[in-house]
Amino acid sequence: MFKRSHFLIAAAFVAGAALLPMAWAADAKPAAPAVLLAAAPASAASAAAPTLVAAAPATSASSPIAATLDGRIQDVKSDVIKLNRDLLVLEEELLFPANTQVALFVSMDVGKMFELDSVQIKLDDKMVSSYLYTPNEVAALHRGGVQRIYLGNLRTGEHELVAFFTGKGPHDRDYKRGATVKFEKGSDPKYIELRIKDSMGKLQPEFDVKVWQ
Amino acid sequence: MRFRLPTRTARRRLVNAAAVVITLGALLALGVLNGARAAEPPAPTHEIRDPHYGDTLFHFFQERYFTSVTTLMTSQHFNRVSQHADEAEVLRGGMLLSYGLHREAGEIFAQLIEKGATPPVRDRAWFYLAKIRYQRGYLAEAEDAIARIENNLPPELVEERGLLQANILMARGDFGGAANALNTITGKTPGARYARYNLGIALIKSGDTARGTAVLDELGKQGAENEEYRSLRDRANVALGFSALTENQPKEARAYLERVRLKSLHANKALLGFGWAAAALKEPKLALVPWTELAQRDVSDSAALEAQIAVPYAYAELGAYGQALERYNGAINSFERENVSLDESIQAIRSGKLVDALIERNPGDEMGWFWNINDLPEMPHANHLSQVLAQHEFQEAFKNYRDLRFLAKNLDDWREKLVVFQDMLDNRKKAFEDRLPKVRQRASEIGIDALKKRRDGVVSEVARAEEQADGLALADEKQTALLKRLADVQAGLTSNANDPEIATLRDRTRLAGGVLNWQLAQDYAARIWDVKKELVAIDAQIAEAQRLDAELAQAQRDEPERFERFAKRIAALDPLLKVMIPRVAALSKEQQGAVQEIAIAELARQKERLAVYSTQARFAVAQLYDRANSGGGASAANNTKDSTKEADHVAK
Repeated sequence: MFKRSHFLIAAAFVAGAALLPMAWAADAKPAAPAVLLAAAPASAASAAAPTLVAAAPATSASSPIAATLDGRIQDVKSDVIKLNRDLLVLEEELLFPANTQVALFVSMDVGKMFELDSVQIKLDDKMVSSYLYTPNEVAALHRGGVQRIYLGNLRTGEHELVAFFTGKGPHDRDYKRGATVKFEKGSDPKYIELRIKDSMGKLQPEFDVKVWQ
Repeated sequence: MRFRLPTRTARRRLVNAAAVVITLGALLALGVLNGARAAEPPAPTHEIRDPHYGDTLFHFFQERYFTSVTTLMTSQHFNRVSQHADEAEVLRGGMLLSYGLHREAGEIFAQLIEKGATPPVRDRAWFYLAKIRYQRGYLAEAEDAIARIENNLPPELVEERGLLQANILMARGDFGGAANALNTITGKTPGARYARYNLGIALIKSGDTARGTAVLDELGKQGAENEEYRSLRDRANVALGFSALTENQPKEARAYLERVRLKSLHANKALLGFGWAAAALKEPKLALVPWTELAQRDVSDSAALEAQIAVPYAYAELGAYGQALERYNGAINSFERENVSLDESIQAIRSGKLVDALIERNPGDEMGWFWNINDLPEMPHANHLSQVLAQHEFQEAFKNYRDLRFLAKNLDDWREKLVVFQDMLDNRKKAFEDRLPKVRQRASEIGIDALKKRRDGVVSEVARAEEQADGLALADEKQTALLKRLADVQAGLTSNANDPEIATLRDRTRLAGGVLNWQLAQDYAARIWDVKKELVAIDAQIAEAQRLDAELAQAQRDEPERFERFAKRIAALDPLLKVMIPRVAALSKEQQGAVQEIAIAELARQKERLAVYSTQARFAVAQLYDRANSGGGASAANNTKDSTKEADHVAK
């Protein structure tokens, strides 16, 4: 009796390693499936293989997903994303109509010659943006992102844009450079890109302005 | 207390890699995938042909997917990303997929294929379709999609494709096929390692223990350069160890379990199994070593909990019944204390403290996969939380809850904005109604037509002056005044014609008139040039005034209609918001309940385990008493004395 009891306990130990409650059945056996289940790809409790958990197929393809709480949450996410799109469109059309809209962008290529800290932008001698960058944002620029730094309105005619870039240049020196452009605002939206480039020839950063047509 | 989930780094890296691969596949044409995965961003070879697409990427690279996808959809509405139309669609599909919006993502990829996108885009679309179908359990359809992929996938997705294929085959039970698919993957990425691990487990489950063991053994001995890989290696060895135990191969089990690091996520399980392998070899002394160590660890871990009764079991096996009895009683007390603690934790969770505090300590400003629980709130028994929070199910449910909170705030912000938009529109409308008629009135008072007539008169006069080379017509004010004075003087000098003094004056007047005419003739060319130039400027100004007047007239006709259109749009969106806000609030509440239930269920499972352990411990105690009462007591007592000393020595 004593031995049997301990055998039961022993069986429970082995199965218990699976961390699954089902291994603790009253007539617990040295349950191989339980052990293996613990490591199985479909085990939702498995924190060590999240990709596989995440990638595991749904148990039933025909389950009424939309009726589940999770399904209803996905539905609401989808609806809110679409609603946001409609609201953003309305906001832009209302506040920045196409005929007066001007959008300013900042981009950076390799960026080894220049460590961007901040950008200040003047439009027609009026400061319209002063932006301090986080490391995350600088990394996003390095990876090919283009930041829309300003969205505003301008009347038709000629305008002047002056941008100042502040950061660390070659040899970790403080660096401040400007770029200027005069442009004509017509009745279409105007997109202007402030570009930070590395000049390998000069071993210096370069700053220029591209006016998109 | 600051707490970092043990699996956070691993999870984050894996999920990050998966999502980046999913969504960045779209960007391979731009050459940015390497940048996404490498620690040091390489020199980008991309070319952004629409700045707004770059703006989407700017948010995307910061993992601000909600902002990224909504701004992308806005730019698509304005047709501002036409140069990246297909890449933008793949990117959008990938982001929606990462939110679990399979249907929308599937439609996007299917449309890309249908419209005959370029081969690289088409292959990526088939790949993601296969992934979606696999995730939803449509295995045959997933296989069909993956079979349609040609040879245009970027290198990073080629490996992903192999993994996906292996996963599909495993899901279908074709473990041999899955093994073959995995053999084609030479990469040592996390995905490949996890797939091998799963394959090993799946083979053992299917009965092919030898092959499964071989796969896991290879993984269990593989070099591991980081914690994530080391943890996976430990896990493989634990699985091997327990598999060997169930196959009644305790020696092999010990060899596998010996490979597991003592300080790792899987150490407790390994120690438990290691002890069991010794017990199976009839070496309870050896079993005591790992179990005694395990019994000193936190009892919220189930393996440590089991060790509480494993140790007295080993003592009993050694014949140290007194020690065993003492330990069993100690374990029963410990279980009772733990049971009370679990009740307190369940009570705290039920009151909502856990979820509220978790949200407060882990705020997020975006919706997405990458929110992590970094800070644990103050709770009666913090060790229970780590067990609860480590669950994949809990984390997913909590993320959904946080997503809903984010959506609620987002909708709330929009509701306020819409009120502002409406006010702005009303103000503009009023200002327009008040000011425009006045401006138009002033314009009509000035009379652009009258101005034009006057300009026409001036043009005729200039033409006449030019034709007649009439310098007098171009005289300035001073000269005109002088000419007038001269004419007046000359008129006054017509009397007394014989008066010599008058004659002198007349000569002087004639001379002055001559000088004046000479000057006018001299200045004629320059003045006619200036006049013509001014006429051009007048023409331009009149044209500008006419244009502005026409615009004002147009605005007077169009703006009320435009205001009306905006008002209608606001009026249409407002009820949508008003419906959505309570919908999200209700789901939030429901989800909070679900999150709490998952947490409570985990603790309830722990309570059940405790109850079972407790029963077993009591049963064992009863057996020990029975044994003592049934006559073996004396010898048992003697044995106990000697064996206890020996066992204590082993345990130390």
